[in-house]
Amino acid sequence: MSILAFRDTQVLIQGITGTQARHHTENMLAYGTRIVAGVRPGSGGEQVHGVPVYNSIEEACRDHRIDASVLFIPAKGVKAAALEAMQNHIKLLVIVTEHVPLHDAMEIFEDARNRGVVIVGPNTPGMISPPEKAKLGFVPTMYFTPGPIGVASRSGTLTYELVSRLTAAGLGQSTVIGVGGDRIVGLPFADALRLFEKDPGTQAVLLIGEIGGAMEEEAAALIARGEVRKPVFVYIAGSTAPEGQRIGHAGAIIGGTGGTVQGKIESLQKAGAQVGTTIAEVIERMKHTLGKK
Amino acid sequence: MKLYEYEAKKLFEEAGIPIPQGALAASPEEVRSIAERLGGPVVLKPQTLSKQRGKAGLIGFADSPPEAEEFSRSLFSRKHEDEPIEHILVEEKVALKGELFVGLAVDYKESRPVLLLSPQGGVEIETLAKEQPGLVKKWPITVSRGLSEKDALSLAEYIRQERPGAPADRVTELQRLLLSFYTLFKKMDCELAEINPLGIREDFSLIALDGAMVMDDEAQFRHTELVRPRAQSEEAFKRDQGFKNKGWTYIQMEGDIGILSSGAGITMAILDLIHLKGGKAANFLDTAQMNRQGIFEAFQIFHNSPHLKCLLINIFAGLNRCDDLAEGIKDYLSAYQPPFPIVVRMVGNREKEGREVLNSIGIQPIASLEESVDGAISAAEAWK
Repeated sequence: MSILAFRDTQVLIQGITGTQARHHTENMLAYGTRIVAGVRPGSGGEQVHGVPVYNSIEEACRDHRIDASVLFIPAKGVKAAALEAMQNHIKLLVIVTEHVPLHDAMEIFEDARNRGVVIVGPNTPGMISPPEKAKLGFVPTMYFTPGPIGVASRSGTLTYELVSRLTAAGLGQSTVIGVGGDRIVGLPFADALRLFEKDPGTQAVLLIGEIGGAMEEEAAALIARGEVRKPVFVYIAGSTAPEGQRIGHAGAIIGGTGGTVQGKIESLQKAGAQVGTTIAEVIERMKHTLGKK
Repeated sequence: MKLYEYEAKKLFEEAGIPIPQGALAASPEEVRSIAERLGGPVVLKPQTLSKQRGKAGLIGFADSPPEAEEFSRSLFSRKHEDEPIEHILVEEKVALKGELFVGLAVDYKESRPVLLLSPQGGVEIETLAKEQPGLVKKWPITVSRGLSEKDALSLAEYIRQERPGAPADRVTELQRLLLSFYTLFKKMDCELAEINPLGIREDFSLIALDGAMVMDDEAQFRHTELVRPRAQSEEAFKRDQGFKNKGWTYIQMEGDIGILSSGAGITMAILDLIHLKGGKAANFLDTAQMNRQGIFEAFQIFHNSPHLKCLLINIFAGLNRCDDLAEGIKDYLSAYQPPFPIVVRMVGNREKEGREVLNSIGIQPIASLEESVDGAISAAEAWK
């Protein structure tokens, strides 16, 4: 089993006619994702890699049951596109777009909360469920293999680095989610942990965090309250990053009120999570605890 | 993007929030002529992005235009937190009977705006919230509903309870001010907006004595009129805008090992590894998705770095290809001869082909991240 994205999840691609969207639609289809429709105003009636394109989500929904949408939409248009998807009762959105304005994101998340919609992103390579052959986004599939580890990460490239080592160590993945690198994201660690905890296909969770924000601390609080019984492993990047600067991701900044790696590590360790100070160390710990004996 | 006080106040004024009379001066002579025009005692406020000017003794009061000119002379020659003082806001001195705090911020945990209000202005709100939480009212805002007239009224009534004596029409004034302030916060895509202090004059009317606004960098496209150099040289501004347009992040650091990598997370992890192993990084560079041309361009950043003792290139090709990037390295090295050694870590798509390209120019790429960092540190040491 996995979480959120399954073999029979029917997927819509918003902005499907763009160069990147076309390319990744092809990759997702090749992996096994059930993409049933695409949307691009003015391109209704066309096809992209055999996927029918519609002028609006409403039109697409007349012909198909749509469970999830992946937005390949420029930052300026993300708010309107996400609100349109939610109005049409789509319950899972993956927003890969980087640089979505903060006020737009707040509006999107508020609507999602009211409607019970799950949003992955923004600023994420998306998610992948290897046992289900479902990929929503653009993670390079070659590093992923089916197995019992749930992964949630704030960074794309760091995900590939760690997951490739898990795969090499024989530790496959149930679902890997890039929660996004922004200051506010739709599915923070605590929410991802709750989903992994309920999933019978997930035996342990790896969180890949970084400096800034309070997502790691919230996850620690959830674990401390006893709401996560599965083992949680953690790596957090940025322990030696300079303060007060935004380190690549909008969310990765140490401010006056916290967000340091040390604070995050302390709260997670106290809660009972296993934290590695380097990538190699966390992988070793996982191999030691979870590897085949 | 932080705004200067005078910029924030201009926006306040446009939004109908009263501010003191005044003008911006770029020289002591201008300070004098503004003071003459205003008549009466004035306040001199150096315009810097770093705050806490008061604590640094940089806010001045003058009773006459010559006194204002004289004091401004010393200010113009000073720096505040490395920022040269280039402009001074000269304002009328306003007599007050009290000060309030009004702020709007983003609650990142709850993903929504929050209004902060206190009957005690003029102090740092974080300190006040910690020491006397009862004096800071927090009002979460539902974005789709905004701040309603009723919300604003109950907040204004709260202030009247805490500061009795204000006539009823002043409550309406504060209510209107809160509504305008929220509209401004949203319209300008603010991460943070503060009026601190919001002065209460003798007749109980309100006036914004100081203002701070921090705008969301991601929303700059909606506010292009405000994008220009701020507390940085024209050159640094152009460089940063160039990186921004490419989707790159570049941060200069103190050390001697340059890092060329794509992806914020992995680059941060490399930085940590270098430091944990005793090396010192010269920069943080996160390029967006890298290709042959991109890696060639990224090299230019390091081209003229005299401090560099090694350049560590990390290639983890997922969506891109090792051989394409290796060709970019080859392109650069055949056009230029950098004085520093280069260590390449390379894995992923078409790794074997990439390896062949690098081997042909005498570079042995390393597959392990940890070994490549060790390699870069010892190369930098050997260079000394």
